[in-house]
Formats: sequence, structure tokens, C-alpha cells
Amino acid sequence: MKDIHFKVNGKNVSVNCAPTKTLLDVLRDEFDLTGSKECCGKGECGSCTVLLDGVSVCSCLVLIGQIHDVSVITVEGIGLTSNMDVVQQAFVDEGATQCGYCTPGLIVSSRSFLDGINHVPTDDEVKTALGGNLCRCTGYTKIMKAVQTAARKQLTMEETTN
Amino acid sequence: MKVSEIEMISPQTVEECLYHLGEKDKTSRFIAGGTDAVVRMKDGAWLPDTWINIKQLDSLRYIKEEENGIHIGPLTTHTDIVHSGLLQKKADVLTAASKEVGAVQLQNMGTIGGNIATASPAGDTIPTLFVLDAQIELTSLMEKRIVPINEFFVGPGRTVQAQEEMITNIIIRPQTENEIGIFEKLGPRKAQSISIVNVAISLKMGEKSRECLGGKIAFGSVAPTIVRSEKCERMLTINPLHDEAIQDIAGAAWKEVMPISDVRASAKYRRSMASALLERGLYRLMKRWDER
Repeated sequence: MKDIHFKVNGKNVSVNCAPTKTLLDVLRDEFDLTGSKECCGKGECGSCTVLLDGVSVCSCLVLIGQIHDVSVITVEGIGLTSNMDVVQQAFVDEGATQCGYCTPGLIVSSRSFLDGINHVPTDDEVKTALGGNLCRCTGYTKIMKAVQTAARKQLTMEETTN
Repeated sequence: MKVSEIEMISPQTVEECLYHLGEKDKTSRFIAGGTDAVVRMKDGAWLPDTWINIKQLDSLRYIKEEENGIHIGPLTTHTDIVHSGLLQKKADVLTAASKEVGAVQLQNMGTIGGNIATASPAGDTIPTLFVLDAQIELTSLMEKRIVPINEFFVGPGRTVQAQEEMITNIIIRPQTENEIGIFEKLGPRKAQSISIVNVAISLKMGEKSRECLGGKIAFGSVAPTIVRSEKCERMLTINPLHDEAIQDIAGAAWKEVMPISDVRASAKYRRSMASALLERGLYRLMKRWDER
């Protein structure tokens, strides 16, 4: 057992557990942050995607002992019902969810992708950016549309604030 | 050994890593990005007494040009490689391959050192290291040695790296001004797939139309280790690389590879795909060369 200190959604936290426990299990079991989902457990589906120091990773393949002093952002840190992010609002508006299991991972990946660009992405750009997130219901059309809608909204918001 | 009983240490220096590797009474393994190590731990295949966590060892994460070549730290992630202007300019074949490793999340996590040490015959960056004449620096408490990439791999998952050694540097040959490279991969889908066949090509071009002065071709996933296709390489310089010459070269490729049949594809399919990928790669390279 080890004491591990890190940040989750901006708050300093610590946990005492085996260092080989995955970050995903710690988030879900110890902090009740059940947005991130376990699906394949092998880094193939992206349902467990979180940001580590701003970089998207599969939390099912990160061991908790490896993230001492690191800042973790989960889907809950991107927005909740009361303060939805533009990406989340766009997913709602475009109806880009069905069963919802992949949605948190897609939201985190989309947020991270939009943070790095300053234009409305093409279909191909969205496909490359979200290639690590599998959805078995929607067929992706609405998801791609939602990401583009969010990008458009974000650009308008930036223009008005500038 | 249960997963929950495995210990973890996080050394801050290479020396500290080497010291822990040398401990004889405990089994240990490195873990960096974890994209392979954690999967194998969950499967029960890798259950060492101790994980030596080197994810945070930033002194081994760099890309820099030195007199004897471009030095890449083993903890450099695939994303770092994709974003490096130096590598885009002088090792375009490696940039291309790193873009094909997994999807964004895995490119953010996985490291080039991990790709090498894991020694999967399907590892996407490895064929490119063959065409860039990579040299692997192995360091132990006793010595430092340099192993050329073509002597590094012994078989699937097996290398000449000893238990007490650590990969501390990867040195590649920068491409020359007239050299262009490409990486072609066949997988079940575009993102996030393990190669069924892949090929790295780097060609030095001459003054005349499509004149090739020499080149290197390395296939992955078609034999226990990477295959340099020497026969195809010799054919590159016979005629200018117009369509007919390209078809001849690609036609010879199937004899150069020794694939197996497994869950991903049959040997026969791999052989014909090796030819097809080489042909496609050469067409694309020549198109790019014509349009430069």
C-alpha cells in the first residue's frame, strides 16, 4: 500500500492503495467519479479517456503509482449538468448519444482535440482525433456533427470575448 | 504473485534505475507508457516483484541533432515524435510510422523505447528504425554498449538486451536532402489497429526523372523479426521508378518475406499484401517526388 497524492478536477487529493491499481478503478471506487467507464480494459475503446496534465490517455492503462503529483481531469471536470461545456451541450443538441457508454470518453477526447485547434474541423480531422474512441450504437455521424457544432460555437464565443 | 502485491518504485535518475535492475533477489520490469505492460499484467503474463516506473524520467525524453546523428530518448512518446519539426524534416519515415501507432491516447502514452523493448514483430516504429540505420544504446552499471538495430532483435518479444541493461538512447541517421520516406500499414481498420503487414521505405533520389540512387525497404509483421528486403533494394536502382519498374520491384517482395498464419491473417494473404503495400508506397513516394 502506498500514499499517492495527485489532483482530480482541480482538487488536491490523496489515496492509500496498491500502486498497481489502475487510475480508472481509483477514480470510480475511491472518488465515486463514475463518468469514466471500463469497457475493453486494454486501451482500444477509449471509454475511460481522461486528461493527465492536459494530455488524453486511457485511464485503464495508467497505474495509480505512476501519477504522483499529476493533474487529472475527468468528464465530470469538463462539465456537469449545471455547467455543461460546449462539447457536452453540442452532444445533447445533436443527439450524439444512444446507450451513452462511450459518451464520457468521447467528450474528453473531443474537448482535448478542440483545445488544440482553432478552426471547424473537417470530417477526416474529427475521425483521426476520435479514432481511439469506439461507439457501437450511433454510427458516428451525429458525433462528428456534434464536434463540429461545438467547434463553431467555441469560435463564436472566442470572437465575442475578444 | 497477485497484481495487488506488486511493488512500484519511481527512480529519478538512470543510475537509480540501473541499481534496481541489478538487484538479484527480486524480479523487476520497466513500466513507462503502460500500453503493453498493463495489458500484460492484467493478463497475468507479466507479474514482476517490482515495477520500475520510468514514466516521469524526463532526462530520457528528448529529440536532438548531434554530430553522429539524431538522438531520441527512449521515453519520447509517439506524439512527441509526430510533433517534432526536426524529425519531420530529417526522418519523415519515422514521423509517418508514429502517426500510425494506435490512436491519439496511445500515441500520447506509448514511447519509442517501449516499442523497441517490447519487440513485437508488428511494432510500427521498428521497420523505420531499420531504414534509418538506428543504433540502440544499452547501459548497465558495468558498461555502455551500442547495438545496431539489425542485431538487436532475436525473435518475437526477444532482444539482446540483458536483464541488467536499460535502453538509454536511440541514434538514427538523418535523411539527406534528396531522401524521401514513407510508411505503409495494413490493419483491420485505420485507427488503433495492430499491423497485419507494414513496410518502411526510404529512397535517395537523383537528378534525372525518378532516378533512384539507392534505398532501404523494411517489412514488419511478416517474419519473427523485421525483414530488410535486399533483393527489392537492389532493384531500385536498375531503372527509373516508373510504373513498370515499381511493379517489378513489388512483384519480387513476396519471396523476401516469411510470414506465418495467425489470428490476424494467413501467410498467403500477408505475402500478397507485402507486395501490394510496397507497390502503393513506391507510387505514393514517386508522386510526392514529382510534385515537390
